[in-house]
Amino acid sequence: MNQMRILDIKQSIYENNDQQADLLRQMLKDRKTFLLNLMSSPGSGKTTTLTQTINQLKNELKIGVMEADIDSDVDARKISETGVSVIQLHTGGMCHLDADMTKQGLSGLGIDELDLAILENVGNLVCPAEFDTGSSKNAMILSIPEGDDKPLKYPLMFSIADVLLINKIDVLPYFDFDLEACKDRAKKLNPNIKIIPICAKTGEGISEFADWIRKEVSEWNRY
Amino acid sequence: MIEVVQQVEAFAIENDAPKIDTLVLQIGELSSVVPEYLKKIYPMAIEHTLLEATKLEIEIIPGNGKCKVCKQVFNLLKTNGICPQCAGTDIELLSGKEFFIKEIICFDADDKDT
Ligand SMILES: Nc1nc2c(ncn2[C@@H]2O[C@H](COP(=O)(O)OP(=O)(O)OP(=O)(O)O)[C@@H](O)[C@H]2O)c(=O)[nH]1
Ligand SMILES: [Mg+2]
Ligand SMILES: [Zn+2]
Repeated sequence: MNQMRILDIKQSIYENNDQQADLLRQMLKDRKTFLLNLMSSPGSGKTTTLTQTINQLKNELKIGVMEADIDSDVDARKISETGVSVIQLHTGGMCHLDADMTKQGLSGLGIDELDLAILENVGNLVCPAEFDTGSSKNAMILSIPEGDDKPLKYPLMFSIADVLLINKIDVLPYFDFDLEACKDRAKKLNPNIKIIPICAKTGEGISEFADWIRKEVSEWNRY
Repeated sequence: MIEVVQQVEAFAIENDAPKIDTLVLQIGELSSVVPEYLKKIYPMAIEHTLLEATKLEIEIIPGNGKCKVCKQVFNLLKTNGICPQCAGTDIELLSGKEFFIKEIICFDADDKDT
């Protein structure tokens, strides 16, 4: 009779990715490239915000963008209109990007060429929060129509974000969205989070976001 | 899932494991991983790997939290994250976010003549 044996593995599935993410972050630091990971629900305004922000920064920083859409290149086309380099990442139906895919995207863009790499992650508030991409900093967008209770429903996303952009403030009068309550909820989860209300459509608030990026990029390159 | 299979393969090679029969995963109730989905894609993920023709077993770990105010321990899903004792919402997460490869069950094929 065959003998049954049980081999304990006890490995976290995230472990592997966490190691790769740390390696990638170190590599980015050595090459003086800042990687911003941008996350939100579908349609919150990632692409519109990026377009506006890139236009404010492209004359001072060499920028490259990675677009992670499940299977379209609409966003990549929009970004390429700004003149910066764009690469489309295929997630193969996955609901998030991991460090390995991000690394492949960066080599596609040519990491040595860039001061600022931006990753538009898959539209989803759950899975991207759980997988470290190796980014220097994480940004997230919450748009007014999504509701001010999102920090309560997706606490992990709000706790790993370094900056929270509250977008579509132009429609604030039409929605039952309590801006102050939303800020308080986010701060409670993450006291250090920087919160910037914006309207990506008109560009309102974008210069504050661009300033935040400038400051973070120079800190990243300092030591 | 493909990453999981690769991680198990690496482990099996490193530890010189005999023929694998079953892979056991542990998944927290509060993790974003959907057990039913994993079961569905498992046969595809193991094709042409060391895990080909193995079974998948999933253990669910309850999502438990501890109220920071009254120290009550309770299941977060059942109460929507609210303390059943004092209605507090400042909760320390104890378990439920796990996604672990727990173990592999193998059969030693040394006495083949049975
Ligand atoms: N009213 C208003 N609409 C906006 C604003 N920003 C973006 N939108 C609209 O919201 C829709 C989605 O914007 P996108 O920038 O494509 O959003 P996204 O997050 O990149 O979307 P996906 O990549 O599909 O997840 C578009 O119709 C935009 O015109 C804003 O500040 N105000
Ligand atoms: Mg987009
Ligand atoms: Zn309590």
